Order: sequence, then structure tokens, then C-alpha cells
Amino acid sequence: MTRQLGLAIATICMSLHLSLPANAQTLDSSDSSEYLIKAGFIYNFAKFVGWPTTAFAQPNSPIVIGIFGNDPFGAILDRIVNEKKIDGRGFVVKRLKWGKDLKDCNILFISSSEKAHFQEVIQIVKGMPVLTIGETPNFARRGGIINFTLEDSKVRFEVNIEAARQADLNISSRLLSLARIVQEDVAYGRKTQ
Amino acid sequence: MNHWKERRQAQQGRDWVRVYGKAHNQKCRASLASHLSEGEIAALPIYNQNIGSIASARRIFLLGILLVFLVGTVSAQVPDNLPDVTAISLEDLMNLNVTSVSKRTQKLADAAAAIFVITQEDIRRSGATCIPEALRMVPGLEVARIDMNKWAISSRGFNGRFANKLLVLIDGRSVYTPLFSGVYWNMQDVMLEDVDRIEVIRGPGATLWGANAVNGVINIITKSAKSTQSGIMTAGAETEERASGRLRYGGKLDDNTYYRAYAKYFKWDPSVDATRRKASDGWDALRGGFRMEWTPLGADSLTLQGDLYHSNYGETLTVPSLTPPYSSTFSNNGNFSGGNFLGRWNHAFSSSSTSLQMYYDKTDIAAGSLLTDHQGIYDIDFQHDVRAGESQQLVWGIGYRSIRDRNVSSSSVSLQRDQLSLNQFSAFVQDEVGLFDKRLRITLGSKFEHNDFTGFEVEPNARFLWTLSPRQSLWSAISRAVRTPAQTEEDIRLNSAIIPPGISPAAGPLPTLVAVFGNRQFKSENLLAYELGYRVKATSSFSTNVAAFYNNYHNLLSAELGTPFLETNPAPIHIVAPLVAGNKMRGGTYGIEWFADWRVIPKWKLSGSYSYLQMNIRKDKDSLDPTSDNPNGTSPRHQFYLRSSIDLPKNFEQDLIVRFVDRLPSLNVPSYHSLDAHLGWRPVAALEFSVGGQNLLNNRHLEFIPDFINTSPTEVKRTFYGTITWRF
Repeated sequence: MTRQLGLAIATICMSLHLSLPANAQTLDSSDSSEYLIKAGFIYNFAKFVGWPTTAFAQPNSPIVIGIFGNDPFGAILDRIVNEKKIDGRGFVVKRLKWGKDLKDCNILFISSSEKAHFQEVIQIVKGMPVLTIGETPNFARRGGIINFTLEDSKVRFEVNIEAARQADLNISSRLLSLARIVQEDVAYGRKTQ
Repeated sequence: MNHWKERRQAQQGRDWVRVYGKAHNQKCRASLASHLSEGEIAALPIYNQNIGSIASARRIFLLGILLVFLVGTVSAQVPDNLPDVTAISLEDLMNLNVTSVSKRTQKLADAAAAIFVITQEDIRRSGATCIPEALRMVPGLEVARIDMNKWAISSRGFNGRFANKLLVLIDGRSVYTPLFSGVYWNMQDVMLEDVDRIEVIRGPGATLWGANAVNGVINIITKSAKSTQSGIMTAGAETEERASGRLRYGGKLDDNTYYRAYAKYFKWDPSVDATRRKASDGWDALRGGFRMEWTPLGADSLTLQGDLYHSNYGETLTVPSLTPPYSSTFSNNGNFSGGNFLGRWNHAFSSSSTSLQMYYDKTDIAAGSLLTDHQGIYDIDFQHDVRAGESQQLVWGIGYRSIRDRNVSSSSVSLQRDQLSLNQFSAFVQDEVGLFDKRLRITLGSKFEHNDFTGFEVEPNARFLWTLSPRQSLWSAISRAVRTPAQTEEDIRLNSAIIPPGISPAAGPLPTLVAVFGNRQFKSENLLAYELGYRVKATSSFSTNVAAFYNNYHNLLSAELGTPFLETNPAPIHIVAPLVAGNKMRGGTYGIEWFADWRVIPKWKLSGSYSYLQMNIRKDKDSLDPTSDNPNGTSPRHQFYLRSSIDLPKNFEQDLIVRFVDRLPSLNVPSYHSLDAHLGWRPVAALEFSVGGQNLLNNRHLEFIPDFINTSPTEVKRTFYGTITWRF
């Protein structure tokens, strides 16, 4: 039923989109809404991704979200996950700098400001149970686990299942059913190995 | 687990709809939600018409929250009232339009009307098995069951089996019968699991919806085929031997074409009458239908949908007879069947959109010893929405409706014309302007209609919405609405009672037959309504709204005593005392409706409403009406509703509903309390069990006494039910 409702909304929103005039005079708050929506996604990812028990020190250890690069969320992400709990776990949002321990998080958001370096970051957390999330073209094809894309002004996401498997993360089929599944870029993969 | 979470979260959303809804001014048959919230909701309904009405109001609400948020953020970095996007499901997030959301932030507003939205979640958790039962949760709406297969439903007074001031639409199709200007509630049914939401506007909606949307509009909106892409099978049973089964399946033909089809059957055994004997008001119905949507890429979408149904029902009927004992009471069995087919085409331009809708609706009623009626309605409607600049939205439309009626009279009910063809033409225009940085929104519009009975009718309205803050708004409206005559008010003869010889001195030895007659000079009833409302979302977990109204009616239906005459056929010879339809009642009604919603803790929600109604309707000085009374006595003065919804561990959920309905003094119906309880369990996503009880506080109670047609009312009994739902 949830799925049906969701699809219903999808249709609605689609129609909504159609209904909108192609009017260029928009507020420049679109950034806010984009990252608000992305914050909602990140929360949902935490809900639909299973970490190995070794990823957390204790059953009630918080889910640590690390943001690497220029933080596009501002205070939004902190506010959104503040006091939220998933299966007894709260959230902690950290801004990570290069050199700081990038492995010390469960979710690692790599901002588009770091698009030149994301591969290095991925290498650092490779094999660790860290859900890497990017917003750079080819992020998922090059070893990232989830990549945000914008299509028709809507936020979509790609999932690299193999990368998730290597990180020992279990992604629910519900999440996968909504994702675009991408394969590791074979040529790229060879290069790295 | 997540299913439950989302439902709960989704429910939070609904409240936002109410709080932050906006009067969209677009006329949109498929959805009152156009009246709801600007951003998302506003546009949604309109397109619902095309693509299908789908929006799950609750989620939309979350979208509404986004709007609120965005409005707040235009200047500030991060506002205090950040919307809770964690309550939005993934599927919905996927479809939030990043740019559209921000565009619409400029137009955040509320509905300048008293709107309530029943969500799918509300329906499911209430244990309602038919539309009228679901409507009981609407603040101020009067819902009374007359017998197993008859209801009296009205808004803001004037309730009755033939209540005629409420307009009801199912997916944009008006189900208002021209026969008596009301709704045959027993013919209106849908697959309840496919209902997306039911939007109820209390108060006039005539400018958008036309004549007969006098005291309220109920819009039942089913989900799109695209959002019902799976199977669902439900079997249920109740004590009192109600049994039902429902099956729906949805699929797609290709990436742009989705469909669903459903079938349902139920059988309800008779209830008990006042003497506790089993009555004859059993009822069964078989119904099936489909919906299909084609949305080629681009700006067009096409929806086709249709239903077919057949139903048998019984009742205990009393009709007058000219010989002793001067009346006969018997079990009357009837049946009805029908079908409808609707097509809707939507097209979006760069700054406007159009919608073209056509439908055919056929109804065949064989009401046993009463009337037999065959009716076909063709309806075509065109609507154009234009965004005229940043702060102005214009909508206009034209429509045509053709009604063909054939009927066969009986000894107790007859219509003068056994064949009748009626045509209605309509046009409307409405403009909405935002002033003072759009904190004040003014909506002006009018409907112009022509019908064969009363000619031209004009129904203007003016609505004002003042957004005090993103959390608070104040609205008011002045509207005129008319209720155009029904076929019966023009043409009927209904033999209602016999005064035996000797009782009436004037009649001497002859029996006197009291009969109600229609009148070709009957005029439209009209209303001038003044409304005022306030909504506030006081905290993130508490919101409330209140609406007050004063309605001033003229030309209300009265029954004027005409000149008695002798009638020889049928024998024996008798005197007829005619009561002729007149327009000699008028007066005012006023009332208040209050609703509040409190999420005590995330897993526990309380919602409640209270409504008060006072009616002061009186006959004109020159009226010769010996029967009509102030209808104050047929509507409850006080109504109270309280609901508790708790999400329990292990995927259990529990609901309790307490209602109080005041007495109906002129019908001698005492006040009653009722308690409904529901317990649901969803061990796995595909399977749901639900058990519950209705009317737990008393063995049975009476809710209404029917008007005009003398059928025996039956009592609403305590019942227990169990349902299994399997989704595949």
C-alpha cells in the first residue's frame, strides 16, 4: 500500500510539474528545497540500509553522518535528523575535513565541491561499512554507493550494488526498487585494481 | 514496520493540509483539494482530473509543509519551522519537484473555506465499510442511518433521506440525482481501499461546482491506476451476518499506460425494528469497475474509468389505502442497477492548462411498489486555468449536461411527465489576486447557469484569506448559492396518508387522501452565506481550526395546502387534500464547527471535533403550509467526536472513536453516544488482519426517521467485525 500511495504521489507530482508554467522568475530558494529534499533522502537511506553490527559500538550508538567538502546543507541536515531515531539509534552530523578520520562515520556525504577528489575519499573508506553518498556524475560508477542526480528538477539516485556489497551494507529492496542500478565502470575498475 | 511508520507519518501530513491549505480557486470537480493548499495541493487536484486523482492528502501536506518552510526561508537562512522531511516517504521525495516547490513558495495560502480531508488511513483505521460510515468523522456533518440501506446525510442542517443541499462527486462525476436533488447513498460505492481521500467542504461551493452545492460539497477521489499497481483481496464478516469480499488488481500495458479493475460484493442481513423484530431492510450489491490512464510523455494525459453495479434491497413500506384500515404496511423489495463511463483529457501549456471531461451515467431504479425510473445523464465540461502573472490566477469553464428520464408510476407515487429531457448549460469564471505581498488573497468569481425549470441562475462568491503567519490564517467568504428544483418538485404526486371518514368534519363520510404535489412554478431555493474561519498550527504537534457561519435562506420548499377536490378513480370516491410545493419558507441558520488535532507522542494521536447548529426557519406570513416545521428539529444541535489512534509495537494499531449526536426533537430521536474500536495487525507487509466493534456502548439505537416516503426506520445495532486483507 505504501508503494501505491507513493506512486500516487509520483503521479501527482508529475502532473504538478506539468502544470507549472515554464516561468523563469523563480525564487533563489531552490537550493534550499533541493537540500531539504536530499536531507529527507539521507534520512530514508539510513532507514533502508542495514549496517553490520560491527559498525556500531553499542546497540544505541548513533548513526554518524559525515559531510565532506563544502556543506550544501547548512543547518538543514542537523535540524532534520535532530532527535530522530531509527531502530533506537539517534543521529550525529559531523563536518569532516581532509585528513580527519573519514572512516569515523556510517554515512559519508561527499559534496560536489570535492568532485575532483571523490575517488580518493572512496578509496579511504573502501571495505569499511560506510555508506558513501555523492552528487557528482559517475560517482556511483566509480565506486561510490549512492549518487544523487537531478532529473526534470527532481531528485533521483543511483545505487552501485556491488560497492554496497563490498562495504557489507545491506540495501533494502524497497530502496533498490526506486534507484537506478548502476554497474561499476569496468574500464575504471580495472584501472584502480 | 516501515509501513506503519509511514502511515503514521503520513497522517501528520494531513493536518497540514487543513492548516496550510489554500483556496485554489480552480474549479476542479475531481478535487476540492484545489481549495486546499496552494503549492502542491492546489495544482494537484486539477490535474487529478486528468491523470487521476491520486494525491494522498497526507503526503501532500508534507509538501505543504515544504511550502510553508520555503516561504519562511526566502530571507532567512534556516527557518525555525523546518518541515519534517523525514515523514515523507522515499517515493514522494523522488517526486518532489525541486524548482516547482520554490516557485510555489510565493503563493502559500490557505483555503478560504471550511475543509476537512478524510485520508485513506482514516478510512482504513475507522473500520468503515461504506462511504456514509466514513463520513461520520467529518466535523459538523450530519450522518444518520435510516435503515440498512438508507442514510440521511447533510451539512449545516436540513437533513433527511432526500436532503437536497449537498453536492457529492466521485472522481469528478456528480452523483446528485435530478429526481429529488439529493443523493441515493445506497447507490454510491467505491472500492474503499482505492480511495485516495474524501474532501468535504462545508458551506457553499456553487461558484465552482454549480447549483446544488448549497450547504456543502463532498468529493470522493480515488487513486490513480498508476498508484494501484498491485492486487488486493479482502474478505470480511460481521456479527449480524454481514459478509463482504473485494478484489482489485492493477497493472500496466506499457510504461505510459496503467490500469486497474475491481469487483466487490456484499450482503447485509436485515436489522431490527423498534419492536426488536427482524426488519426487511436487507441489502446486497455487486459492483465492478476499472480505471485506465494514458500519459504519453509531454503535456497530455488521458483517463478513462467506469463502473457497473447491481443491487437488491428491502424495506418495510407503509402506503395509504382508501379502504379500512386505510393503510397497508408490507415488505417492499426493490433493486437498482447502473453504470457510468468517464473520460478526461488534460493538456498543459506553458502558463495554463486545460481539462476536458465527459461522462455518461445510467441509473435504473425499480423501487418495488414505488417508482420505476430510468435515467441517463450526459455531461461535458471544459476548464481552463491561466496563471496571469505572479499574483493572479484565472480559471474559467463551460459545461453542458443533458438528463433523459423515463419513469413508470405506481399507485402511490407518480410523476406527471413519464418522459422528460432536461438540458443545463453553465459557465463560470473566477480570479484570485494576491495583495500585500500575497498575505491577503482575494478570490472573486461567479457561476452562470441555465436550466429548464428556472432559467438563468447566478452564483457569485467573494473569498478572503489573510495569512497572518505561516502558522496562522484567517479567512472569510460571502457566497450565494441556489438549489434548483428537482423533477419531483415539479412533477410528483405522492399519496402520503389517508384521513379516515368521520375524522375530518369537512369530508363527511368520505375518506380524505393527503397527497403531495409538485408545482411547475416552483422556484429555486437560494442562500446567502457568510463564513468566517481561523486556523492555527500552534506547535508541531497541535493544530486546530474553527469555522463559523451564518446562512440566510429564501424560497425554501414548503407544502402549501391547496383546494381539496373529489376524486373517483381509484374507487371508492374520496377527497384529495393537496399539499403543493411552494417556496414560502425562509430564515437563518448559524453554527460553529471546531476541530483539533494533537499528536500527544509520535505514536499516539488524538483528534476531535465539536459542532453547534441553530436553525431559525419560518413560514412566510401568507403560507398555508400545515406541515412544515422549523427543520431545527431534524438536525442535531450538538455533535461531538473524539478519536484516538495508537501505533502499538509489533505492527499493531489501535483506534477508538467516541461520538455524541444530539437528539432530533421533531423526529423523537433521542441523543446517542457511540463507541467504535478497531485493532489492526500487519504481521507482514502483504497481510493485514483487523477486528473491531461498532456501537459498543449500547445494544442498538435509532438515528433517524425518514421523510416523505414512509419506510420503517431500523436501529443501528452493536456489531463486531473481522477483516482479512491480502496484498499481492
